[in-house]
Amino acid sequence: MPNVSVKILLFATFREKYHLKELMVECDGSLRGLIESASKILGEEFLNDVYEKERGKIREDIIFMVNGRNIKDLKGNIELKDSDVIAIFPPLAGG
Amino acid sequence: MGKILKVDLTAGTLRSEPLQEEVAKKYLGGKGYAVYLLYKYLKEYEAKGILPADIDPLGPENVLIFATGPGTGVPGFPCSGRYHAMALRSPLTGSVGSANSGGEWGAFLKFSGYDMIVIEGAAEDPVYLSIIDGSAELRSAKDLWGKNVFDTCRILAKRVGGKNVSVACIGPAGENLVNMACIMNDEHRAAGRTGLGAVMGSKRLKAIVVSGEKEVPVANPEEFKEISKRCLENMRKNRVTGEGLPMYGTSILINIINTAGALPYKNWQSGVNPNADKISGETLAATYLIRRRACWGCTIGCGRVTRVPSGPFQILESEGPEYESIWALGSATGVNELDAIVKANHYCDEFGMDPISLGSTIAAAMELNERGYVPKEDLQGLDLRFGNAAALVEAVWRTAYKVGFGKYLALGSKKLCEIYGHPELSMSVKGLEMPAYDPRAVKGIGLEYATANRGGCHVTGYTISTEILGIPEKIDPLTPEGKAKWVKIFQDFTCVVNSTVNCLFATFALGVKDYAELLSAVTGWSLSENDILKIGERIYNLERVILNRLGFDGKDDILPGRLLKEPMPEGPAKGHIVELEKMKEEYYRLRGWVNGVPTAEKLKELEIEL
Ligand code: SF4
Repeated sequence: MPNVSVKILLFATFREKYHLKELMVECDGSLRGLIESASKILGEEFLNDVYEKERGKIREDIIFMVNGRNIKDLKGNIELKDSDVIAIFPPLAGG
Repeated sequence: MGKILKVDLTAGTLRSEPLQEEVAKKYLGGKGYAVYLLYKYLKEYEAKGILPADIDPLGPENVLIFATGPGTGVPGFPCSGRYHAMALRSPLTGSVGSANSGGEWGAFLKFSGYDMIVIEGAAEDPVYLSIIDGSAELRSAKDLWGKNVFDTCRILAKRVGGKNVSVACIGPAGENLVNMACIMNDEHRAAGRTGLGAVMGSKRLKAIVVSGEKEVPVANPEEFKEISKRCLENMRKNRVTGEGLPMYGTSILINIINTAGALPYKNWQSGVNPNADKISGETLAATYLIRRRACWGCTIGCGRVTRVPSGPFQILESEGPEYESIWALGSATGVNELDAIVKANHYCDEFGMDPISLGSTIAAAMELNERGYVPKEDLQGLDLRFGNAAALVEAVWRTAYKVGFGKYLALGSKKLCEIYGHPELSMSVKGLEMPAYDPRAVKGIGLEYATANRGGCHVTGYTISTEILGIPEKIDPLTPEGKAKWVKIFQDFTCVVNSTVNCLFATFALGVKDYAELLSAVTGWSLSENDILKIGERIYNLERVILNRLGFDGKDDILPGRLLKEPMPEGPAKGHIVELEKMKEEYYRLRGWVNGVPTAEKLKELEIEL
């Protein structure tokens, strides 16, 4: 299992709920591994907030970005690298 | 059918005309009906031998329209307290003037007995228009001239008294013919863009106060009740309109747009602002936010009531700043102090100026100055450098009063940059400063900026919704592929929204089908989704015809060179430029336009009679 160290940034209601702007997480480089590692720090609820266990995917209704790119726009399997920055937003809008 | 109040300020006369059902069926109301009327004026002028190019935006021949639509002021019609304002020509762009505002004024105009107001001519001395319970008159505004927006609103509301009173007015910026002056209403709400406040100022019309209790008709009330209930429920349940916007307001966008590398920084030299979080919606909520405020008939309530309790930028109570104003007054200028941005935004409201155009013009001046293009004697000690918060705040009031360097800023960035020999530093399209999304990182919005009828505008074709936010579906912001289709759909649908007239933010939860059903129930006409999109397309095309007559065509559907030639220097869009020509070609094809001009076949298809 490769060990990578990435940064997670939390925004809006996530920031408020977890009283945290950012955290460093060590994981195996997969998105699931990342969420599980983060849940060990933030609590089980975080996993439910961002991950759909049944489908084994990041929740459809949140905005999940890796290095500024929404994972919905990234093709293929996502392998995280050291120093990657993950930004997580609840559904939001403005104008 | 409702009524139009026609006011000739030169003659000092008022007359009432009925709305025409056949026009409303083709153009709905609000913006659509106003576009129809503006085109008629243009034709009448041409028949009299007055060429479109001869119409002085600040002359008595310009026409100013305030318009509501079939949804405005209907209890239960989502977010329907708004109005749309238009002018034949904008002093900032020379093209059509167009802007939209919330608050209560739109609904209360309807309660006063009128659906629309058309202002012709110019008064000799300052006047205000009073419309109370169906009776309209012009009164002297000599005592109000020179007063700021807040005082004007309070004095007139008190003078009229009672409930359902609302004031739309100009501040000193409008009186002083500042090119980015807005029409303000209910103190902090603005028909902000394209300088309509200066048009009002040129007519020496200080304010319009409206009041009344007239019921707004609904053709099929039972049916409407059901549809309205469903729509409002959907809006409450929707996590954007029911949670995100109420909790954080529009400025929640600062961080996500910056993360996507699309938050223009220091006059668009980059799309990444290293200090974005300091001026974000999250920071505003944790610092200066007191409570939220909703416009009339709105269940979302995105408005922010704010206070800066101490320090040099202290403010007892203000509203905003919004995402756009924080960006323009903050990120575009490199200013990271949120309290200074709140103050600068407060001054924009107090004096009546568009923070997007003003912030961008100040940012352009900062770049001109840092590159050594502005003589010291012009600046008179105003230290316009990126990040200088004190200079930002000073520049705002100087612009409103055209004092010192303010007289150059008051022209807008296009003319300012031309004066100093560097037009390429104006981040504008058709003379209108672009808003807070760098299209090198969000390609579709670049096509919208280039082709938007009113100039560099995001809200007439808000592709950010799909490219960044994933509403109604997620598409990749970094590809130009498939964007033309979305820009056209958003532009046409937004014409429907602005002719309804209700708030664009309702569309984060409601779709074309909901609008078709709501409008059918209110008007009693049977409108399908296709019908309303066709109405939207018709409005967009007729507005484009007016632009063409004013001399605008494909050569003006462009973007500043910086976005086409200078690759984004950093962030997720690093190396990207905007592939405009490619998108534009497809867009014109979908629109049935040649070089920015609708073809005769297209106009025929849309039943537009010229
Ligand atoms: S969503 Fe915001 S701008 Fe729109 S009507 Fe409601 S409060 Fe006003």
